[in-house]
Amino acid sequence: MANKADVWQGTLALMVLKTLQTMGPLHGYGIARRIEQTSGDQLSVNYGTLYPALLKLEQEGYISSEWGVSDNNRKAKFYRLTRAGQKQVAKEAREWEQATAIIARFLSPGEERS
Amino acid sequence: MRRLRAVFLRLGGFVRKREWERDMSAELESNLQLHIADNVRAGMSPEASRRAAVLEFGGLASAKEHYRDRKSLPLLETVAQDLRYAARTLRKNPGFTMVAILTLGLGIGANTAMFSVAQAVLWRPLPYARPDRLVEITETNPLKHWTHTVAAPANFADWQKMNTVFTGIAAYYPNDVFLSGQGEPQRLKGIAVTGNLFGVLGVVPLLGRTFRDEETFEGKSRVAILSYNLWQVEFAGDPHIVGRSISLTGKTYDIVGVMPRNFFFPGHDKQIYIPFGFKPSIFVEHRRPHYLNVIARLRDDVSLEHASRQMTAVASRLEQMYPDTNTKMGVRLDGFHNTLTQEKRPAMAMLLSAVCVLFLIVCSNVANLQLGRAAARGREFSIRQALGAGRGRLVRQLLIESLALSLAGGALGLALAVFARSALLRWAPAAIPRYAELRIDAWVVLFGACVTLLAPLLFGIVPALASSRADALRDRGETGSRGGRSLRNVLVGCEVALSVILVVGAGLLIRSLIQLENIDPGFNPDRAVSFRLFLSETRYAKSEHTVRAIQEIERRIRTEPGVQVVGIGLVLPLQGMAWTDDATVEGHAPGDYERELRHNAVTPNFFRATGTRLVRGRFLNAFDTERSPPVTLVNESLAKNYFRGADAVGKRIKFGIDRDPDPWVTVVGVVADAKQDSMSARVEPEVYVPLTQSGPEGGLGITVVIRGSATPDALVAAARREIHAVDKDLALTDVIMLRELVHESVGDQRFRTSLLAGFAGCALFLAALGVYGVLAYSVAQRTREIGVRMALGASATQLFRMVLRDGLRPVLAGSIVGLAGAYAVTGLIQSMLFGIAPVDPPTYLLTCAILAAVALTACAVPAARAIRVDPLVSLREQ
Repeated sequence: MANKADVWQGTLALMVLKTLQTMGPLHGYGIARRIEQTSGDQLSVNYGTLYPALLKLEQEGYISSEWGVSDNNRKAKFYRLTRAGQKQVAKEAREWEQATAIIARFLSPGEERS
Repeated sequence: MRRLRAVFLRLGGFVRKREWERDMSAELESNLQLHIADNVRAGMSPEASRRAAVLEFGGLASAKEHYRDRKSLPLLETVAQDLRYAARTLRKNPGFTMVAILTLGLGIGANTAMFSVAQAVLWRPLPYARPDRLVEITETNPLKHWTHTVAAPANFADWQKMNTVFTGIAAYYPNDVFLSGQGEPQRLKGIAVTGNLFGVLGVVPLLGRTFRDEETFEGKSRVAILSYNLWQVEFAGDPHIVGRSISLTGKTYDIVGVMPRNFFFPGHDKQIYIPFGFKPSIFVEHRRPHYLNVIARLRDDVSLEHASRQMTAVASRLEQMYPDTNTKMGVRLDGFHNTLTQEKRPAMAMLLSAVCVLFLIVCSNVANLQLGRAAARGREFSIRQALGAGRGRLVRQLLIESLALSLAGGALGLALAVFARSALLRWAPAAIPRYAELRIDAWVVLFGACVTLLAPLLFGIVPALASSRADALRDRGETGSRGGRSLRNVLVGCEVALSVILVVGAGLLIRSLIQLENIDPGFNPDRAVSFRLFLSETRYAKSEHTVRAIQEIERRIRTEPGVQVVGIGLVLPLQGMAWTDDATVEGHAPGDYERELRHNAVTPNFFRATGTRLVRGRFLNAFDTERSPPVTLVNESLAKNYFRGADAVGKRIKFGIDRDPDPWVTVVGVVADAKQDSMSARVEPEVYVPLTQSGPEGGLGITVVIRGSATPDALVAAARREIHAVDKDLALTDVIMLRELVHESVGDQRFRTSLLAGFAGCALFLAALGVYGVLAYSVAQRTREIGVRMALGASATQLFRMVLRDGLRPVLAGSIVGLAGAYAVTGLIQSMLFGIAPVDPPTYLLTCAILAAVALTACAVPAARAIRVDPLVSLREQ
C-alpha cells in the first residue's frame, strides 16, 4: 500500500465521472474499487478524498445519488451520471487529452527546442 | 453557474445539518460493510477484514470531517459556533460584558452622533440640481474694509447683463412679512427673491409653480411660494392651497406654489418666498445700498477661477463707469456650499477629532478589560491548544468574541445617536444651522456599522494575539504574566495621555467662554426686556406719523406700573442687525470719505433703557426735534478713531456723500462702546441720531427696550396692551431679555464647549476606570505576595504606598506625554480661544490637579483593599 500513489489533485473528479459513465450507477465503495482496478492497482483512493469529491460533483449537479440495494443485498447509496455530467465527462476528457498531449511533446525525445 | 449552485447547496447544508449528518454516517457505514464483506469473501477473518478495510480507506472520523467541510461552509460553520460560544462566555461574565458594552456603546454612539451632526452641517449635498456648480457672489472693497459684502441691486443687474460665465444669476434678501388673520398679525420668515431664483437652483415645486422672471418687478409681484413646513404648520397642509390669497403686511398675495419637503434655503425651515416687487429703476439707480445675496450657476465648461477672472473684469468696467459708487469695488466668488459651512468647519473639525480620540480611549479601555480577562482565561486557552486548536483558530475565536461585544455596543451606540439627535434638536437647535436636516439617515447608520466593525480590530487584535500565545499551561495564573501587565500599563498610559489632551482642550474653551461672558457688553443686561415692532408702510406712510406713533408707544408704556424706563431704537446691541450709512467726519481727508458708519436712530431714553454709560457731553433729549439743529451721539470707538483723543463733543459729521446737501450734524455726546455683532468682535465706530431727526419712513422695524422691576412677562404683557391701544395690528416679535441676548450671542461657543467638555469628561472617566481596573487586578493577583510582605512586617502605610506607586506610574507617564501632546495640538484651536493663549498656565495646572485627584481616587480603592489583606488567609489560600 505504501508504494501506491494517492490520486492527484484535480483528476479524481474526472475518474469518478468516467467510471460512472462506463459502469452505470455505483456506490462509493464500488467507485473506489473500480478506480483502483482501472489504474492497475497503482492508485489508492481514500474515503477522506473520495466523499468530498462525490459531494462536490453532486452539488455541482454532475451526478445524483439515491439509496438502493447492492448485489449482495446491502443498503448502499448509489451515484449516477446526470445529463450535465455526461457533457462534463466529454469536456474534461478533451481538456485532459490536450493537456497530456502538450506535456507529452515536452517529454518525448527528439523534439527538443530547435 | 454550477459553482454558485454549489454555494447555495452548501448554505443549505449549513442549515439542515442533522439530517445530512445521519445520511453521511449511514453511507460511510454501508460502504465499510461492503468492504468488509469483500475482505471476508477473500478469506479473511471478520476482525481482520474490518481492520484492513479501515486501514485502507483511512480513518472514518477524518473522512467525515472532510465530508463535513465540503457539505457545508466550514468558515461560516465555525464562525457561527464561535459566536454562540462567545455569547455563552460573555453571559457568564456579566460584569465584564456590561462594562465593555456600555463603554463601546458610548464610543460608537458619540462617534455616530457627531458624524450625523457633521453630515447635516458640513457634508450633505444641498438639495439642488448639481449643487457643486452654484456659487455665491459678494462684493469686496478695501476702502470700506469689505471682504464679502452683499451686493447693490444695480451692480447685480449689470453682472446679469455683462457676464458670460453663468447660466443664471439670482438674488434674494431676508424680508420678514406679517400674515394677517385673526388677532395680532403673525410674523413669517420671508425671503424676497428674483423670479429666476428657483430656476437657478434647479428645483421644482411640490405643488403649483415657481416664479417667472417678470414677477421680480412691481405690478406682477403679488405671488408667494410656501416652504413645506410653513405649508404644513400654518396652512395645515391644505392640498388646495395653490390659488388661495393671503394678506402679507397689508398687501394681498396669491399662493402659486409649495416647495418639496427636502427643499432647503438658508435661514429657517418655515419660510415664505415672495418676489422683490421692485420698480425696474431700482436695478439702475441703487448702486449705493448693498443688500442682495447673489447666487449664480456656473456654465458647465467654466471653472470657478475662470469665472472669478471674468467677473473681476466686469467689476473693473463698472468701476470705470461709476466712479462715484464703485471705486475699488471688486467681486468675490465662493462655492455656495462652502459659504454656508465655512464658519462651522473649524469647530466641527475639532469636535470630530475629539470624538475620534474618545473612541481610541474606549478601544484601549476595552482592550485592557480583555487583557485582564484573558489572563484569567489562560487555562482555558492552554487546554484548547492542547486539544489541537491552532493559534489562528484561537485568535479567530477571540476576535469573534470582540465582534460580539462590538455588535452589542454598536446597537447601543445607534440608540444613543438617535437619542442624541432629539436632545440636540431640543437643546441646541441654533448650533446646527440646517437643523431641519439633522437626521439619522442611511449614511449615518452605515458609518455606525463601519465603526462597529472597525472597533474589534482596534481593541481585539492585541489582546487576542497576546492571550493566544502558547505556553500558558506552565503559567498557573498565579502572578499574572509580567508581559501582560506591562502591556496593560502601556494602554492605561495611552488612555491617560489622550484624555489629558481632551481635558486641556476643554479647559481652554471653558476659560474662553467664561472670559467672553464676563466681558462688559457695554450695556446692562439685567432686568431689561426687548422686542421688535414693524411699522408697515401702508399704515405709516409719512415720517411724522411714524415718529408720533413711536413717541406715543414709549409714553404709554412708561405709565405702566413696574416700568422704570423705556427706550426705542432701530436696532439693539447683539441683535444681529446693523444699519450702515456713508458718513464724512469733519476734518478728515477725502481718503476717509465715504467711510461707512454704523448708524442707529434712537429715542432720548434709549441709553438709559439699555444701561449704556454716557462718557462725555450729554444724552439726547426731548428738545432734539425735527426743527432743532441736527445732533448726534457717537460711541467711544468713533471718538477714539476719528478725533484721536481730542474731545469729540462739538465736532461735526456729515451723513451721505460729500455732494449731498445734508447739513453738518454736531456731536453732543459720547457713549460707552456697546458690543455690536458678537461679544468677541471689536466694536466699530457707530453714531446714534435722534429718531425725530432721522426722518423715519414707513416699512420700519424698531426695537423697544423696557427696564423695570416687574417680571419680563408682566412688562411685555403691559407693553402689548399699550401698543394695541395705539395700533391693534402691531405685532410684538423677537421678545427677549437682554441677559438672554448676551447668552445667545455666545451660543455657538457654548455648544462646542459643552460637547468638548462632555467628551473630555467621558475620556477622564474611562481613563480612571482603566487605571482602577489594572491596579485592582494586580492587587488581586498579588494577594499572596502582599500577605507575605505583611507577615514579614511591612506596615500598612508601606504597602499602601507600594500599591499606589504601582498604579500612579502609568498615570504619570501618560500625563507627561499628554501634556506635551496638548501643547503640540492646542495651537490648532487658537481661533476658537478668546482672551487666553493656547499655552494657558491656569488650564494646564487645573488639568494636572483634576487628573491627580481622579487618579488618586482610582488608585486608592485597590490600595485600601491591599492593606486589608489578612496574611493568614492569603497564605492559606494557595
